[in-house]
Amino acid sequence: MKRYDGASAELAAVDGRKRLNMDKVMTAICFVLLLVIVVIPIVMIIYNAFFNEGKLELGTFVDQIKEEKNLSAMWNTLKIAIGATILGTIMGVFYAWLLGRSDIPAKGLMRALFNIPYMFPPFLGAMAWDMMFNGRSGYINKFLRTLLGLKTMPININSVWGIIFVEVSYYFPFVFMQVVSALERMDPTLEESARIAGAKQRQVIWKITLPLVKPAISAGALLILTTSLAHFGVPAILGYARGIYTLPTRIYAVIYNSGGSFDGIRQGAALSVMLVVVVSLALILQNRILSAGSYDIIKGKSMRPTLIKLRGAKIPLLVLAILTLVLIVIVPLVMIVLISFLKAYGLPLAFENFTLDQYKTVFASNGTIDSIKNSLFASITAGIVCMFLGTLVAYVVQKIRPKGKGALEVISMLPYAIPGTVLSIGVILAWSGRILGINLYNTIWIILVAYLARYLSFSMKTSSAALLQVHSSLEEAARVCGASHTESLADITLPLIRPAMVSGFFLIFLPAMREVTTSILLYGPYTRTLGVQIYSLRDAGMIPQAAALATVAIGIIIVLNTIVTKLTKDRKGV
Amino acid sequence: MANVKFDNITVSYGNHTVLKNFSLEVESGKIVCLVGPSGCGKTTLVRALLGLNKPETGSIMVGERCLFDAKKRVNVPAEKRNIGIVFQDYAVWPHMTVLENVCYPLKKQRRPKDEIQKRAMRALEQVHMTEYAKHLPNQLSGGQQQRVAIARALVVDSDVLVMDEPITNLDAKLREEMLLEIRMIQKRLNATILYITHDQQSALQLCDKMAIMEQDGTLCQYGTDEEIILHPANRFTFEFIGVSNFLPVEKGSNGAVLNCGSPIPYDGEIPQEALAGGYEMGVRPNDIVFDASSPILAKVTSRVFLGSEYNYFLTVGDRQIRVQQSMLDARTRGVADEGETVGIRFLNTRFYPAKKGAQTV
Repeated sequence: MKRYDGASAELAAVDGRKRLNMDKVMTAICFVLLLVIVVIPIVMIIYNAFFNEGKLELGTFVDQIKEEKNLSAMWNTLKIAIGATILGTIMGVFYAWLLGRSDIPAKGLMRALFNIPYMFPPFLGAMAWDMMFNGRSGYINKFLRTLLGLKTMPININSVWGIIFVEVSYYFPFVFMQVVSALERMDPTLEESARIAGAKQRQVIWKITLPLVKPAISAGALLILTTSLAHFGVPAILGYARGIYTLPTRIYAVIYNSGGSFDGIRQGAALSVMLVVVVSLALILQNRILSAGSYDIIKGKSMRPTLIKLRGAKIPLLVLAILTLVLIVIVPLVMIVLISFLKAYGLPLAFENFTLDQYKTVFASNGTIDSIKNSLFASITAGIVCMFLGTLVAYVVQKIRPKGKGALEVISMLPYAIPGTVLSIGVILAWSGRILGINLYNTIWIILVAYLARYLSFSMKTSSAALLQVHSSLEEAARVCGASHTESLADITLPLIRPAMVSGFFLIFLPAMREVTTSILLYGPYTRTLGVQIYSLRDAGMIPQAAALATVAIGIIIVLNTIVTKLTKDRKGV
Repeated sequence: MANVKFDNITVSYGNHTVLKNFSLEVESGKIVCLVGPSGCGKTTLVRALLGLNKPETGSIMVGERCLFDAKKRVNVPAEKRNIGIVFQDYAVWPHMTVLENVCYPLKKQRRPKDEIQKRAMRALEQVHMTEYAKHLPNQLSGGQQQRVAIARALVVDSDVLVMDEPITNLDAKLREEMLLEIRMIQKRLNATILYITHDQQSALQLCDKMAIMEQDGTLCQYGTDEEIILHPANRFTFEFIGVSNFLPVEKGSNGAVLNCGSPIPYDGEIPQEALAGGYEMGVRPNDIVFDASSPILAKVTSRVFLGSEYNYFLTVGDRQIRVQQSMLDARTRGVADEGETVGIRFLNTRFYPAKKGAQTV
């Protein structure tokens, strides 16, 4: 007989008779923490964008919208986001098809390599491309100019197209990964029947395969769109100095230029509202498209599809794929490492100009060591706190199902839709002395609070998925065997979702380690994070030093990622 | 071991009332099967007994102990009810070994370590799982997980043992074995077992008594299996516990007729009230015999040999009926061929009011 969906809610209702019980306490903790971490900053942004000293004042908002710089920033944001989405989607789908459906060799290796851009911080990539193709001083630009005898630089990466290019090379894996896994789970008989019915190979691809993976394509495409709309790093590094602004960099500029005055922050809040509106529209679009898609034909089981023989095109396509990988993965990496050994930026890349001094300076500098410590502290703490809090929210939403669980779910997912820059402004507005006199500004705690808000949804999602796997009868069986509610949680539920909690931790810890977008607005003199330190070193013209620190950062990321992959692999074996 | 008494239980989910004023008493030391179609409220009743949901009215007693009473505001929490359960999906904890699973209830009772070990091993012995003590559940087959769940329920001396469709996921042979094993365990422990199923076949094999529940959650008959098979209380029980044929009966110009498109004279016994109209005659497939002297003629549409019997579909007028012929009967009287017209006679007939709009084969 079928089990009732609300079985554990039923049990919760039975327990609910006691006046004070753990379920109620957990629910209350969830609401309070989410209120503090998520709701207050968001309310503060909206309030400050439209109100001043308790009175409705639309002046600031209207001024900001009218301001020409802001309008052009908005226009750039849209151009870059749409451009990156279209190109990234085409690239992602093409390579997904190549690896998922053709007989191209070395698939396993290529698949692993195609995932690298996903874990590589895009702003470091932007730094590398700027070193090569800067419109004034890029190394490859200079080389090409001499080689071709040109008067001007052949390529200028400091342009809207340059930004699009770099974003595409780091965001196409969003589409690639979604589509590859959809292709793998698709029932191959669907394609085979079309062939049997008389369709040609080309027709099968266009009429059967592509329409079937359309939901996966649109899911990935909209992930690119929303990420690009909110992205700070790449446009900041490539566009900022040339006056090419996007909304996130414009917000940063407004606040930076005002020296952190309240007026500047209010202007930033007004711009944030604009950005949130744009991102929300994209998310609504995403929901529409995703709910229209049908996933029925895609099964959970993995099947072996018939591979399409590339024949003569095999070698050229393989070369193309390898070139792409070299171009977007290896070239930037090599460039950063090379520059990090230079005595001074601008010197030719010759062996006599190489030195280890940059690394010595980096490790001798207190600021740099502090930044590594700060990043480790903030990301580990955020990872641990989010792991527990996210699991708590997931448990309350999935198993206790109190009144208002929908609100709880929406609130915890809200920061997912809110750009990091915007979240920072909300955190500044909330925690710089205006509420209960709590002033965290210029301390590491404000960065931590922002990380908590930003990453909570990550751990909540993984824990939710894991909790759904834990059938309510497992907890009920423990109850019937004589365990109290608390004991059944500790003995059964927690051990079962522990692997998901651990992977939730790393899902937060890794991106937080290399984070710039949020912390760039929140750092104080002694609270720079790793990302901020690299950004400011570069901003201050100490490019080889920035490159040295970036190399260190990449090293840390690679080591951590290897550990994570090892850990998750071991767990699958059990 | 103790008896279980449900008195006047009502359970609803939102606006949907699953059980209404349900009462049932299960005698001590018996295996009682709770049988009913999917969704009739069997599991809901058991969840109320376990303390996993809260009825709106009524009381639940196990022996002299009151577990729940809506009026007296008694509601013993699930962990203090001392009832063993084998869930439909086993609910064997995947992160604990077989032995740890079985030890868990004793650990919660804070028993001494060596006693826990001893009793757990004995419980595993009872279900023939000793050699798997160190295995994790995902290394076991469905049937073995099943037995772990049973051992876990047996390890403490529960007042009552509840089994919620515990063998539905097993193959036929293993199912048979498990039923025998449950039976033997019950004999050894003299336990009260409440066994839930929608499969009347396994219920018949296992139980001392059967409780038949109707789709709307009412108890329609409670008795020994013989009582229920030989004297079904109503049409629902009759239909639910076996294959059945129904033919409409009417009063014709010369006595009773079967109305199958055209009236067929029927000379068997018919109670007077069944001739008032709107009644049907119910008969089991193995209660229909071939008899050349019978005036009721039927055409054989198909015949299938099932090993221990022949299964026929016959056409009577515009109705199809199913007939089972035992091997013994087939040897003495011979089999009927497809396309042949045969005379048939009905034994053990019953008469029930016709269901509205229903057509039964």
